[in-house]
Amino acid sequence: MNEFLELCVGTITQGFIYALLSYGVYITYKILDFPDLTVDGSFPLGAAVTGVLLVKGVNPYLTLLAALAVGAMAGFMTGYIHVRLKVRDLLAGIITMTALFSINLQIAGSNLAVDRGIDTIFSVVPGMQDIPLLYRKFVVSLVLAVGMKFVLDWYMKTKNGLLLRAVGDNETLVTTLAKDKGTVKIIGLVIANALVALSGAVVCQEQRAFSSTMGTGQVVFGLATVIIGTTLFRKMSFFKATSAVLIGSILYKFCIQIAISLGLPANLLKLVTAVLFLIVLVLGNRQKGGADHA
Amino acid sequence: MKMKKLMVMAMTMVMAAALAGCGGTGNGDAAEGDSANKDIPVIGISQFAQHASLDNCRIGFLEGLEASGLKEGKDYIIDYQNAGFDPNVAQQIAQSFSAKNVSLMCGIATISATSCYAAAEDKDIPVIFNAITDPVEAKLDSGNVTGISDKLPIEEQLKLIRKIQPEAKSIGILYTTSEPNSVAAIREYEEKGPSYGFKVETIGVTQQSEVIQAAENLIAKKVDCFTNITDNTVVGVLPSILEKTNDAGIPVYGSEIEQVKLGCVASAGIEYVALGRKTGEMAAKILKGEAKASEMPYETVKDFETYINSEALAAMNIEVPADVAETAMDVAKEA
Amino acid sequence: MLELKHIKKVYNPGTVTEMCLFDDFNLTVKDGEFVSIVGSNGSGKTSMLNIICGSIPIEGGQVLVGGKDISKMKDFQRYRTIGRVYQNPSMGTCPNMTMLENMSLADNKGKPFNLGFGINKAKENYYKEQLSILGLGLEDKMDVKLGALSGGQRQAASLIMSTLTPIQFLILDEHTAALDPKTAETIMELTGKVVKEKNLTAMMVTHNLRYAVEYGNRLIMMDKGGIVMDKSDDEKEKTKIDDILDLFTAISIECGN
Repeated sequence: MNEFLELCVGTITQGFIYALLSYGVYITYKILDFPDLTVDGSFPLGAAVTGVLLVKGVNPYLTLLAALAVGAMAGFMTGYIHVRLKVRDLLAGIITMTALFSINLQIAGSNLAVDRGIDTIFSVVPGMQDIPLLYRKFVVSLVLAVGMKFVLDWYMKTKNGLLLRAVGDNETLVTTLAKDKGTVKIIGLVIANALVALSGAVVCQEQRAFSSTMGTGQVVFGLATVIIGTTLFRKMSFFKATSAVLIGSILYKFCIQIAISLGLPANLLKLVTAVLFLIVLVLGNRQKGGADHA
Repeated sequence: MKMKKLMVMAMTMVMAAALAGCGGTGNGDAAEGDSANKDIPVIGISQFAQHASLDNCRIGFLEGLEASGLKEGKDYIIDYQNAGFDPNVAQQIAQSFSAKNVSLMCGIATISATSCYAAAEDKDIPVIFNAITDPVEAKLDSGNVTGISDKLPIEEQLKLIRKIQPEAKSIGILYTTSEPNSVAAIREYEEKGPSYGFKVETIGVTQQSEVIQAAENLIAKKVDCFTNITDNTVVGVLPSILEKTNDAGIPVYGSEIEQVKLGCVASAGIEYVALGRKTGEMAAKILKGEAKASEMPYETVKDFETYINSEALAAMNIEVPADVAETAMDVAKEA
Repeated sequence: MLELKHIKKVYNPGTVTEMCLFDDFNLTVKDGEFVSIVGSNGSGKTSMLNIICGSIPIEGGQVLVGGKDISKMKDFQRYRTIGRVYQNPSMGTCPNMTMLENMSLADNKGKPFNLGFGINKAKENYYKEQLSILGLGLEDKMDVKLGALSGGQRQAASLIMSTLTPIQFLILDEHTAALDPKTAETIMELTGKVVKEKNLTAMMVTHNLRYAVEYGNRLIMMDKGGIVMDKSDDEKEKTKIDDILDLFTAISIECGN
C-alpha cells in the first residue's frame, strides 16, 4: 500500500509541477486563441537559467523569479514578432522556439547537472526537514501550483484580466474599447511564457538537471492537459477553468504512470496516451451534444 | 446532465483502479506468492530509448549479473522500463522506481541515469549508469552512484583510419550540436586529428531531418572518409548516410560494432555488451553486499576491439593491411 | 464636428482589380446631428464609416474631429471618442463573458485597464438601470454569458455598451440588418431613444429606407463614392419614402440592375 501511495504522491507532484506549464498554455490556447509554440523553447529556457544560477549558488527561490523574467522575455519576443512585425501566430512561435534552442545551449550548454550538495526549493523548506523528500516535493509543488492558480484566478478578475479574456473572445470589441489588441496579446504571451519557464525551472530543481531537449513535446502536453481538463469539467460551473487545467495535468501524468506501470513497451506508450486522449475528447464531444457555437 | 458527471467519475475511478492494480503488482510477473518474493531485491532498469547500442548495454548488464552467480527470479527481479526518447517519461520511470523502493537502479544513457539519480536522492538507492561519456559533467562521479563511461577511443580510431587509408588527408564528421558527448568528441577529434595528419571537417545539426543534407555537404567538401561518433541522432539515419557515401565512394568508419554491421568499413570502438557486462558485475557486487556504489569509482573502457567489414571495404576497393586484418574481427565473416 | 476633406480611397492599388472608390470626397457632420445614410451596395457607405474609424487606410485627404486631424491616428486611438455598433451582433460583445463582465469592460473605456478589480459591484445597479432602458429584461441576466442570448438581445446590449461612456460619435453600421423585422424595429426604437437621451452625434448606415426617413435629422444618399442626396432638418421632414425610392431606382437603373 505504501508503494501505491508513494507512486500516487510522486505522480500528483509531477502533475502539480507541469500544471504551471498547462496554465500558460491555457492562457494562450484557450483565452487568447493563439497556438503558441514558444513553449517548447521557453520551458527549457526556465530550466537552463535556474540550473546555471543554482550552480552559481544563487538562492533557489530567487532563481524562480529569474525564470519568470526570462520566460516573460521569450513571450514578449513571440508577441512582438507576431503583433508588430506581423508574422503569423504559428510562425512567430516557431521562430522564437528555434532561436531559444540555441540560446538555451548558450546559457547552459547541452546538458547541465546540479550537484546534490546544492540546495533546491525542495531541499530547503523551512520547518520541513524531517519530512521525507518525496512529501516535501509534494507540498512545495502543491503550494506552487495551487498558489499560482489563485493568482491567475485573481488576475482574470482584474480589469487587465478582463481585457485579456476579451481579446481572445472578440478582438473587435477591444479595439472599440480604445485599446490596442496587439498590446493585450503581447501581455498574454508574456504571462503565459513566464509560467511555462517557471514550470521548467521547477522541473530543473526537481530533476537536478537540464537538457536542451527537455522542451520537446511540451506544447503537445500542455494542449492535451488543457483540453482534457476543460472538456471533462466543462459543465461543472463551480469548477474554475484553472482548476480544470490543474486536474487535467494530474490526469495526464496518471495516464503515463499507468502505461508505465502496466509495463507497456516504450514504443507503445505514446499510442496509449493518444488513445486515452481521444477517449477524453470523444466523451467531451458527446457531452456537448452538438450545441457548440464557439 | 447526470450522465456527464457519472462519466467523469467513472473515468477517474477507472484510472485510479488501474493504477491501484499496477501498484500492487508493480513487480511484474514474478510477483505471485507475495511473501516468498518479499526479500528478492528488485533492479529497476531505465533505458532512454530502443536503440541497438543501448539494448546491448542492457543485455550485457543482465549477462554480467548472471556471470557473477546471481539468478533472476531467485536472487533478483528485473523491472525494465524504456522512455522512448522522452525525458519526461524517463523522469516518471525513475520516480516509480523510487516509489517501488527498488534495491538498485540502472540508468542507460545520460538522461535516464540522471533521472534515476535524482529520484534516488531521498532514499539513497544505489544507481549504476551505462553509456555515459562524461560522468563528471553529469555530476555522476561521486555519491551512491557508479558505472562505466563509454568515452570513445578517438586516438585508436585515428590510428586505424591512418592504417587503412594511408593517403587520406581529411576526415568528415557529422554531429548534433545539442549532445554534449558529441561536442566533446568533436573537440577531441579537432585537437588530435592534425597530429595524425588529418584535417577534420565537421558539420553540426540540430535534428535528424538535417543529417542527410549535412552529409551531402560533407561529401561536396571532398573529404577522404567519414567517421562516426556515438551520436544517436546521426547514427539513427546511418543507412541513408551510407547510401550517399557509397555512391560517392567515400568510406565511413563507425564508432561501435553495430555500425560496422550496418555497413561501415571499420571501427576501433566500444562493444556495448562487454560494457554492460561490467556494469552487471558492479551491480552484483552491490547486491551481494560486497561493495557500495559510493565506494566504487566509475570506470572508463580501456580495451578496445577493432572491427572491420570486409565486404564494405571491398566495395570501396580498399585492401586491409595485414596487421589490422590479423587482430580485427570481421563482421562480414561472422554473419 | 466631424469633417471629411478631399478623401481619396483606392482599393487594391497597383493591381488589375484596382478600384477607385472615393476621389475628393467631402462631408461635414455637425455636433448633435443624427445622420441616416442610404445607398446601394458598393456605394461607399461602410467604407466611409471605416475611414472615419481608421479601420482602413486612405490614399489622401483628412479626417478632422473638432478641427483636429485624426487621419494619422490608429483605429483603437480614435475609438476613445467613438462608439460603434456593427451589423453582426456578435461583434459588439464578448460571447464567453457574462453581462456584468461585458458591462464592466464597456464602462472602463477610456480609463486604464490596470490590476484593479475588474467588476465594480457598486455599479451593478447602474448597469441594470442602463439595461432596463431597453425594456428587454436584460437587467435580470447579469450573470448570463452573452453567447447564450439571442442576436437581438446581444445587439441591444452592444448598443448600451457602446454608449455607456461619454463619446462624441456613435457609428451604427447596418446594425439592424441581421435581425428579424420585429427585433430590428425594437432595436431601432431603442437607438432613437438612446441617441436622444444621451444627446449623441450619430451616423447610421441602413438599407431600410423607412428607418432612414423616420429617424435622424439628416439624410444622405450615396452612390459610387459620391453624395447624391443630402437633406437636413425641415427639408428632411418633408421627404417621403417614395422620393428616396424614386431616386434610388433611378440610380440603380443607371447601373444596369
